Amino acid sequence: MGKDLRDFLEKLKELEPVIEIDREVRPASFEVTGILRKLEERALFPLVVFKNPLNLKNEPSPFYVISNVFATRERCALALDLPSDKANFDLSLRYAQRTKNFLKPIIVKKEDAPVKEVVVKGEDLDLRNYPIVRHHEMDPAPYIDMVVCFRDRSGSFYNTSFQRNMYKGPKKLGLFMATRHNWEICRTYEIHGEAAPVIIIIGHHPAFYLGSLNIQPYGVDDYGIIGGVMDEPLSLVASETWGEDFLVPAEAEVVIEGEVVPRIREAEAPFGEWPGYYGPQRLSHVIEVKAVTHRKEAFWQDVFVSHRENWVLGGIPKEGEIFEAVKAYVPTVKSVHFPFSGNCRLFCYISLDKQEDGDARQAALIALSTCDFIKYVIVVDGDVNPFNEGEVLWAVATRCQPQEDIDVIKWVKSSPLDPSLPGHSEGSKMIIDATMPKRRAFAKRTMVPEEVLKKIRLEDYIDEKLLPRLPKYFDSLRSL
Amino acid sequence: MALKEDIFWVKCPGCGGKFYCDRELRHNREIPLRCPFCQRRFFTHESSEIFE
Repeated sequence: MGKDLRDFLEKLKELEPVIEIDREVRPASFEVTGILRKLEERALFPLVVFKNPLNLKNEPSPFYVISNVFATRERCALALDLPSDKANFDLSLRYAQRTKNFLKPIIVKKEDAPVKEVVVKGEDLDLRNYPIVRHHEMDPAPYIDMVVCFRDRSGSFYNTSFQRNMYKGPKKLGLFMATRHNWEICRTYEIHGEAAPVIIIIGHHPAFYLGSLNIQPYGVDDYGIIGGVMDEPLSLVASETWGEDFLVPAEAEVVIEGEVVPRIREAEAPFGEWPGYYGPQRLSHVIEVKAVTHRKEAFWQDVFVSHRENWVLGGIPKEGEIFEAVKAYVPTVKSVHFPFSGNCRLFCYISLDKQEDGDARQAALIALSTCDFIKYVIVVDGDVNPFNEGEVLWAVATRCQPQEDIDVIKWVKSSPLDPSLPGHSEGSKMIIDATMPKRRAFAKRTMVPEEVLKKIRLEDYIDEKLLPRLPKYFDSLRSL
Repeated sequence: MALKEDIFWVKCPGCGGKFYCDRELRHNREIPLRCPFCQRRFFTHESSEIFE
């Protein structure tokens, strides 16, 4: 059997507590996100399993709602077989390395596919039977916010992406897509007047979801990339609706099968999105649901969208891939990071050992051209750690002269979810070169001699029982 | 180039709840808005308050 969410949970439990809540909760009445938010207020981001969620009819549901799977980089590191002390840039590089390891999926029989333990279709199909989560107060309905997968019309590749699905009726969902790969596949069906087959994958090994976030060119089969990120071929099985013409992940917890209705749009949203704001109500596609297949006592996975796990998911896949892209032209690049302050999408920090003054802007332009989410690129020298935001801002404060070192590029394609956009999906980008100039003499950073630091052990000078009790007044973000 | 506002706020004629929509829905007479609070469907011209 292949990797699945249950394997991951078993491994995780050996490393950290998994919170299991036995008390009944109403996911559609904000109780799941309410509990996650209360934990967040205490800076706690455990993986949480709600063992007794009610469905949309307010009846007990045989599913477990699971959330916060991606809320820490350490859990994502575990998903890619790395220890927690490798959860920063090592994790980003591991991701980029695995996306190059395309693994052809394997096809299994229905009886070997756990996702086929329960098959629901026809008259029995009713989305109100599932514990769909309503996240924020202005969301109009419960939403599924996991991975949506299309197969292109020629049948040559599958494309996956996290996209939101609004509950609209017992057999009907809304689907919002930015104008990227899934949207393009859907458009090709629509111009022929055809319904586009689509599936929604709810619950799988976290490496499956990280793999689905790859930013490979249009036309690359995401099932193969996901296998690479999982480090084993993805197991697939024939769908209920289209048979072998559309294969679905066999190890998933739940798969919803449906068709996007051509030339129909309906009002969808507002929906609380990753920027921390509601995206506006807009015209979105509509899915007619054809079948649901799932495991017995399946995990109904949900991402706490607009919060930390939504942000972590956004950053890791981009860091390694942008590093690789920059390295092709600026080989002295050291690290790339998408910090929480930019929701792991809007700020991109790049460190490099600059050889020429042009290296910084070259690196920034490559990052901007690789990922349209980025709004600000800050390039720092190799002595500054991009994972330490205090250091990055110190470099901006002391190594950057705005009139020389900041550039603005106007009217560039951007994420339509950025509420500050003046146009529909066009915005401006800023490059901040916070590296020391090569073209003129520059001051040196203060340093206590390294050889002295190596010799000193604080415990030799100060009572070691006292040390941990000392109040930490310094800015924990900055370790200068 | 003048900056274009992307959204407008609208008040539901049923429950009075206020929410916002993409500009593409501002003058749409075929597809109704849907109030996220009371689920009422209505067109923008039925609203007593639009802020843009």
